[in-house]
Amino acid sequence: MTPLIILLTLLVLVVLLFLLTRSVRAGRLVVLRPLTSYEGLAGQVGRAIESGRQLHLTLGQASLVGTANPTSISAVAVLDHLAKDGCANGTPPLITVGEGTLLPLAQANIQHALAEAGRSGDFDLSLTQFVAHDTDPFAYGAGVAAVLQQQRVASNIMVGRFGPELVLMVEAANRQAIDQVVGTDDPTALAIATAVTDNVLIGEELFATSAYLEGSPSQIASLQLQDILRWVVVLFILGAAVYQLV
Amino acid sequence: MKLKQSIAIFTAVFFGLLTLVALLFNVSGLSSVILGWASFLAAIALILGVMNLLLVHLTRLFKEQNLYSGVLVLSILGVFAAAVLDGLTGSNSVNALFNWVQAPLEAALASLLAVFLLLAGVQLLKRQHTGWAVLFSVTAVVMLLGQALLTSRLLPAGLRQPVNQIVEFVQNVVVTAGLRGLLIGVALGTLLLSLRLLMGVERPYNK
Repeated sequence: MTPLIILLTLLVLVVLLFLLTRSVRAGRLVVLRPLTSYEGLAGQVGRAIESGRQLHLTLGQASLVGTANPTSISAVAVLDHLAKDGCANGTPPLITVGEGTLLPLAQANIQHALAEAGRSGDFDLSLTQFVAHDTDPFAYGAGVAAVLQQQRVASNIMVGRFGPELVLMVEAANRQAIDQVVGTDDPTALAIATAVTDNVLIGEELFATSAYLEGSPSQIASLQLQDILRWVVVLFILGAAVYQLV
Repeated sequence: MKLKQSIAIFTAVFFGLLTLVALLFNVSGLSSVILGWASFLAAIALILGVMNLLLVHLTRLFKEQNLYSGVLVLSILGVFAAAVLDGLTGSNSVNALFNWVQAPLEAALASLLAVFLLLAGVQLLKRQHTGWAVLFSVTAVVMLLGQALLTSRLLPAGLRQPVNQIVEFVQNVVVTAGLRGLLIGVALGTLLLSLRLLMGVERPYNK
């Protein structure tokens, strides 16, 4: 019985998503909540171009094959946006990954962005670097810290799944006085990120990235459905609490 | 080009739905076959990753004479040679390398985390002069001191219970409430992103 209930719930959500997408496409005005982290993110490419240095983006250690793959897919949405902007302006970002499956995805994104900008010949293997496998978080942290210390980096953007090793990377960036944006869904990494930068994409904000950066109707509709579901959960929790008290 | 994109979308949506149905209705054979294929692809991606690491650092070694890259290239080749020798002679040199080099280095890095975290806390107070920054630091100090005092004999017996209550309140009520809020938000985000992937609306692979 339970699988059928889950399937039914998913179907209802798909229908709601479809209806909301249609309504956004029809021109219904949607105002997204202002998020300071996105403003920080948006300014990074401009700063990199002005300083003549590269923007560094690391995608974390969540495998596309594992259960945390939505985190990596959200991180790739950030890469997509930054790669388009950077490649169009002749400063493609430097990408590091901490998991094998993220490497082909990162390379495809950079190649696509360069091709769209008419600069296919600028593709260089060192633009996308594999640092360590997900079983070696400290090797990954130390590897990214070395990249930040050795390369001419203007901004450091870290989006995806991280653990306590995040502190090695943010500390290396701090020593170089590099601007940072951190987006993750891991509570330990979030605690570290909050201490070192004001630009933090906290948990679900990372999943809302594509709607804020690209703003296609389906992405905005998805964000609205997420808000509706959040209110349903809040009301359910409040109802359960009141029921327990009575 | 359009045909290539359509094939990618069809493959992703088909296998996504197939895995969902297999997991929901407990068709373990089917889901394990698909996950086996995915794991195989992940292993290939890892090999490609290591080759990328080697090529990037070889380029840096010869073009920029980067010493660190040289050490990394030598390490990769050394461990590879040790693994081949292990296969031929039955020795255990890769494990020895891991135990004598990698494990101590990782332990050293792990022990540095506490120092870096402390520095991060101090930097937060320097950077932000807000109530939230003070609350963050005070909570960190209270938790650290509380835990340390509770495990030592310095704390008088009369104070042990109130300190324990404060530490437990912060851990069980404040931290747990925050964590659950965060996890509910992440779960909702994950659910909707997964739905968009299954509907073929979100296409990170379509480049």
